[in-house]
Amino acid sequence: MNFEAVIGIEIHVEMKTKSKMFSSAPVLFGAEPNTLVRPLDIAFPGTMPLVNKQAVINAIRVSNALHMSIDNELWFDRKNYFYSDLPKGFQITQDKRPIGRDGYVEIKTKNGIKRIEIERLHMEEDTCKQLHMSNYSLLDYNRAGTPLVEIVSRPNIRSGEEAMKYVEQIKSIVQFTDVSDGKMEEGSLRCDVNISLRPIGSEKFGTKVEIKNLNSLSNVEKAIEFEIIRQQKLLLAGMPVEQETRRFDEMRKETVLMRKKTDAVDYKYFTEPNITPIKLSDEFIKNAIETCPELASSKRNRYINDLNLSEYDADILLQDKAVSEYFDETIKYNANPKLLVNWIMVDIASYLNKNNYSISDLKLSPEHLSDLVKLISEGKISSKQAKDVFLDIVETNASPIDVANKLGIVQMSDENAIMDLVIEALNENPQAIEDFKNGKDRAVGFLVGQIMKKSRGKANPAMTSKLVIQELKKR
Amino acid sequence: MKEITKEVLEDAASRLMFEMSDEQYDTLENEFKIIIKQMKLIGEIEGVDEAEAMTFPFDVTTDYLREDVAETPLSKEEVLSNAKDVCDGQIKLPKVVG
Repeated sequence: MNFEAVIGIEIHVEMKTKSKMFSSAPVLFGAEPNTLVRPLDIAFPGTMPLVNKQAVINAIRVSNALHMSIDNELWFDRKNYFYSDLPKGFQITQDKRPIGRDGYVEIKTKNGIKRIEIERLHMEEDTCKQLHMSNYSLLDYNRAGTPLVEIVSRPNIRSGEEAMKYVEQIKSIVQFTDVSDGKMEEGSLRCDVNISLRPIGSEKFGTKVEIKNLNSLSNVEKAIEFEIIRQQKLLLAGMPVEQETRRFDEMRKETVLMRKKTDAVDYKYFTEPNITPIKLSDEFIKNAIETCPELASSKRNRYINDLNLSEYDADILLQDKAVSEYFDETIKYNANPKLLVNWIMVDIASYLNKNNYSISDLKLSPEHLSDLVKLISEGKISSKQAKDVFLDIVETNASPIDVANKLGIVQMSDENAIMDLVIEALNENPQAIEDFKNGKDRAVGFLVGQIMKKSRGKANPAMTSKLVIQELKKR
Repeated sequence: MKEITKEVLEDAASRLMFEMSDEQYDTLENEFKIIIKQMKLIGEIEGVDEAEAMTFPFDVTTDYLREDVAETPLSKEEVLSNAKDVCDGQIKLPKVVG
């Protein structure tokens, strides 16, 4: 029997706002435990939640990027459960009226473009961080209240590859909109996968298993591929798939049981009475969308259509938002786009790699990189010489023309100046003119050599040769 | 609706970690009987399932959103001042199975 996988993904994205979702405590990664806490975050009596404007703007921007319809009224709900990561005894979330509904993203798979439907996007607050030791647990409330958006796909993902591409796409959107760092390894983008199998052609869903703790894109793919095979084996052996939560064990490259799921927990949701429904004006929503930083998909179109870059080059640049921003800054100084991409992807990438730097550590300014690329495309220095200049300016951010002059490698490309030398050389070598007239082409090479000598090797060879022939024909 | 018996109440009391006398159980059980009877009565009202919860007394909205400005947090000492047990600047509690 052939099975198909039915996969739905919930993604939690931590926003990089300055303050928390409902309190004004700072949001920072890696601070000392319990130093980013305001009374609301530890549920002190008398505190009231106040909705963070930037978090709402962010949620609107992501909803728009995901082609969702955006609710113009904000309603929040309480999700009630008793657990140590939640001092209030409930989490403020959006249950009945998520800010975004019914969207999609398109992913590129090896079978072509596929549209993944998204059911909802809602805002909520993160819980505190628990550290489980062998016989006790520790609580750090710094994370409690950090603004989150949760993005819930419909179960129309069918393979590990599709799931990975979907998460990659969401990651790119939250990074390019500046909503989140989207770092899976640091937990600012966390995804839970629900997966079940059913015979191909069947409409009924099988028993679903949830996979948690997927901290990289490749683990999303690997965990799902493993889980599909595991469930398939069970079903073919006539054994039931049990409803359970599993996690991906990176070392063993397989999913392992965390806990069996009993009946679904009833969170007894009800409208958060401490937040009056908030009306979002059309203008507010429009403004949030119009001021949104450019998405990767839009940049990609611009790179390919306006700058004539190949799809491959565009995709490479867009793998890292900071790299694409550096490219955008540099291209403003009118360097040749293709040449510039090569420099960023080859020389700069290997320099960063060698020194374990990221592009934000780079001293070389976009303006000076552009100047260097222009020196090459204008024929003032060769690509080989440019590498020597690069070695200097990448460390110092000196002006490339100054460095090229210092190294004495700037080619003479001024036609008038070269022409003066050509005339001088011809006047000094009447025999060479005779030889040329008698069909001896090597006279040209001899004359070019004389001029190179006079210019101490700086005359542009191609231009010199052209001018020598032009002048010889006149004599 | 779940029937509220003495066993249900005893289980709840045990989970909430307090004890009650038999007399208190009887009182509570009787009170629940009355409440459930009243709820049933309300449940018989036509169209009650479609009624919206009246979370807010008036149909009112606001447009206030807090500017995203971080304010000075509490000191670590203040945050931890109500904790029974502290370890490495964090609240320590019996192991919670995650």
